[in-house]
This record gives sequence, structure tokens and C-alpha cells, in this order.
Amino acid sequence: MRRWPVRTALALLLAVPVAGCSAPNTAGEKAAGSHAPPASRIAARSKDQNRELGRQHKSAADLFEALRQEAKNGTTLEWDRLPDWSGIYTRPLKAGLAFDPDTPPGGRPTARLTPEYEKKLTARIEGVKKGIEWDPISTCAPPGMPRWLTEPFLREFIVTPKQTWLINEMVNDIRRVYTDGRAHIPEEDRYPLYNGDSIGFWDGDHLVIHTNQLQAGIYQRAHPDYSEQVETVEIWHKGDPTTLLADVWVYDPPALAEPWYVQQAYKKVDEQGGNLRIRYWNCGENQNNSVYQTKDGTTQFHDFTFDGARGAQPRGERK
Amino acid sequence: MTRVVVTTVVAVLALAAVRVGAHHSSAMFDDKKTVTLDGVVKEFQLTNPHSWLLVDVKGKNGKVVTWGFEAEGPSTLARAGIRPSDLRAGTKLRISGHPMKDGRPAAMWLDAVRLSDGKKFDPRAGFAVQESK
Repeated sequence: MRRWPVRTALALLLAVPVAGCSAPNTAGEKAAGSHAPPASRIAARSKDQNRELGRQHKSAADLFEALRQEAKNGTTLEWDRLPDWSGIYTRPLKAGLAFDPDTPPGGRPTARLTPEYEKKLTARIEGVKKGIEWDPISTCAPPGMPRWLTEPFLREFIVTPKQTWLINEMVNDIRRVYTDGRAHIPEEDRYPLYNGDSIGFWDGDHLVIHTNQLQAGIYQRAHPDYSEQVETVEIWHKGDPTTLLADVWVYDPPALAEPWYVQQAYKKVDEQGGNLRIRYWNCGENQNNSVYQTKDGTTQFHDFTFDGARGAQPRGERK
Repeated sequence: MTRVVVTTVVAVLALAAVRVGAHHSSAMFDDKKTVTLDGVVKEFQLTNPHSWLLVDVKGKNGKVVTWGFEAEGPSTLARAGIRPSDLRAGTKLRISGHPMKDGRPAAMWLDAVRLSDGKKFDPRAGFAVQESK
């Protein structure tokens, strides 16, 4: 279990819920002699039941509040009873990079789209078949949420009572989930962010997250777009000692005809005796990785520098 | 003790879909062609989001051309068992890849064999989950 050195009065002070916000329920949480978090109050549901749960709520905010009620406002996470999410994880390529790991091989994304977004998806897929394919991350932009869930690189999960950090190695991409009872940023001050604004609560060893304030983007190549109205609810927990599971509901009225429920899995990887480490990721460090979008919409490299001077990736230069 | 379980079946099925395209489309490579070249490592650029293995290849006319073979970043290569010490400058190898459609001397790195000892390198194997239990 990852132990943080801060077990001080300051930590205890920070554990006090923010005034005016829902206080986690601490009654009956402690099991004598146990260092494991208490059991989750949210019912275990099948994928079909989770899909139906999404349909029963009009928005991600509604679903989040329903789950909070089901969890009786959640539980307080204590330093000596943190769930063990230590280690390095990755997302198995069960269905390539498909947002829904249950996508049949070669199948179309499983989302139920609005007619407008269905049409755009069809056009994108037809383009990809012809090699007309451009990805916004090719110029080193972060993938953004919800696409963040799909990238195939290394991940770490840092759990503390007041915040949990969900880290993707790619472009040093950190999602901070605030679990201290604070609310979202006031609506009038919100603006689109790559990873949005995430608040959550613990329900035993389950972390429930609501994310809003997201930028528009794509779930992956040959996948649908999502709009700036996209919001998500996630429930993260350990499925077994080496697997972290995330039940994910995506709400996006312009794009989705109904909430898109998927279950993501992240597997703990062999750390090669401690030699597998997550390093700083500078996406622009090698000129040879610099690509641009051609006039016909496909992707091409800039000039290579195979003379040993890798140089920095030119910014803003497009042919 | 760490027990290593290699779950390759799923990964192998999925690799064709991912290739090296995690950062950009692979549309610039011709996946219907494969070039296999003998050469000498000039430089192993372990960089994100992609690493490049630069290989000097001597043509029939005696002229040396530097080819660039693109692979995933350092951590994915590490997961494939490929380390900087494996392919130091001067290492002789036979390397294969999908070449560029436009004829430039670059390719998507598929596999390689170090000629001194026959050790094989599959950069795409890094996406297989070597699970820790």
C-alpha cells in the first residue's frame, strides 16, 4: 500500500468537510481490526443494469446525486485505511483503442448517437478507410477527457483522503479528483478544460466521480465527436488485486441519443524489478515526430533530421 | 516474488489496430509493403511520443543512406524488453518495417534481429500486458 508521509494534525484538519457541503457518513464505518476501507453501499450492478441506470437519469449531475444518496453521502477515507491502488497500470488493448472495450472486433463504436453525430461518424470512418485521418493529439495536445480513459500507456493512481490523482504517463496527464466535499466551480465561472473539473466521494473502496467543464473532442480515431456539453460519472474500484475497474457513464445531449455506458479496465503491469518507471513526457522533443495535416486531410511527417540533431519540434509550422 | 503472466492473445489481436499510431495516423506508411534492410545503428533516439532507431544502410552503389525506423516511446519499448544497451551505435542488425509511401528513407519499425547474437526485437510487443501478481 502506498503510504504518504503526512500523518499529521494538518492532515486531520484537512479531513474536515468543507462547510456547507454534504458531509460523508462516518457512522459504522470502522470494522474492528481491519485496515481495509468499509464496504460500498452502492449496489453491485451488471453492465446491463448500469446501462439502464444511466437511462434513468437525465444528466450526469442527476446520476451523481442519485449515487451519493444511495451511498448515504459516502464515507470518510482515512490515511490508515486507504484502498491499495499502488503500482503501475495500463489499459489492455481488448478492442484496440476503442472507447468501449466490449466493441466487437472491427465493429462500429457502440454509442447510440444523435442523427447529426451519426452522420459525422460515418463520414469520419469513410475517410479513415481512405487514409484521410487526422488526430488532434498529433500536435501534442493532451487527449482530454473522456478520451483520457482510452490511451494505452502507463498509469498511476495516487489516493489520499482529500484528493485522488489519476495519472496517465502520456503528456504527464493528471486528473485531480477532489473528495473533500467541495462543489464544482460556479456555473458562471466555468470554461472548457481538457480534463474538466472533477469532484467525487468515496463509498467504501469505491470512488465516485462527476466531471464537467470539458472541451469538445473525439473519443478516438474512427470514433464519434463529443461536444462541450459532455459530462461523465465514473465509479472506480479494484475488481481484483491487479485490476482497477471504472464504470463510466457519458452524457452529451447534442451527440448521444442516450448515455453511453462503458466499463474500462486497467491492469497492473510487471515493473521489471523496479526498472519500469514513469518518466517526464515531452511530446515535442524530437523533430522526427513532427507531423502536419495535408490539404486532403491526411497526416504527413515534416522533414526528418536523421543527421543526429533531433532538434525541437517546430511549432505552428504547417505545410 | 513477482510472477509474470504474459497475456498476448488479446494484445496480438489488437496490435494491428494500434500499430505505432497512438500519436498520429499511420497513413503515411504503406502497410502493404515491408522493407528488410541490413545496416548499422547510427543512433537510438529514445523519445516521446515515438522513438526512432536510425540505421545506416549501404546501398549497392556503396553510398550510405540513414534510415529512420519509428516505434513507440521509451516505456513501451521497455515493456517490449528493448533497452538502450541493446542497440548501441555500431550494432549490426537486420531490420524490417512498413516504408513511407512517399519514398523517404523511413519506416514503421516492425521487428529486428541483432546480427551478432540473433537476438530479436519486436517493438510492438510492449503493448502486451505483462501482468504483475
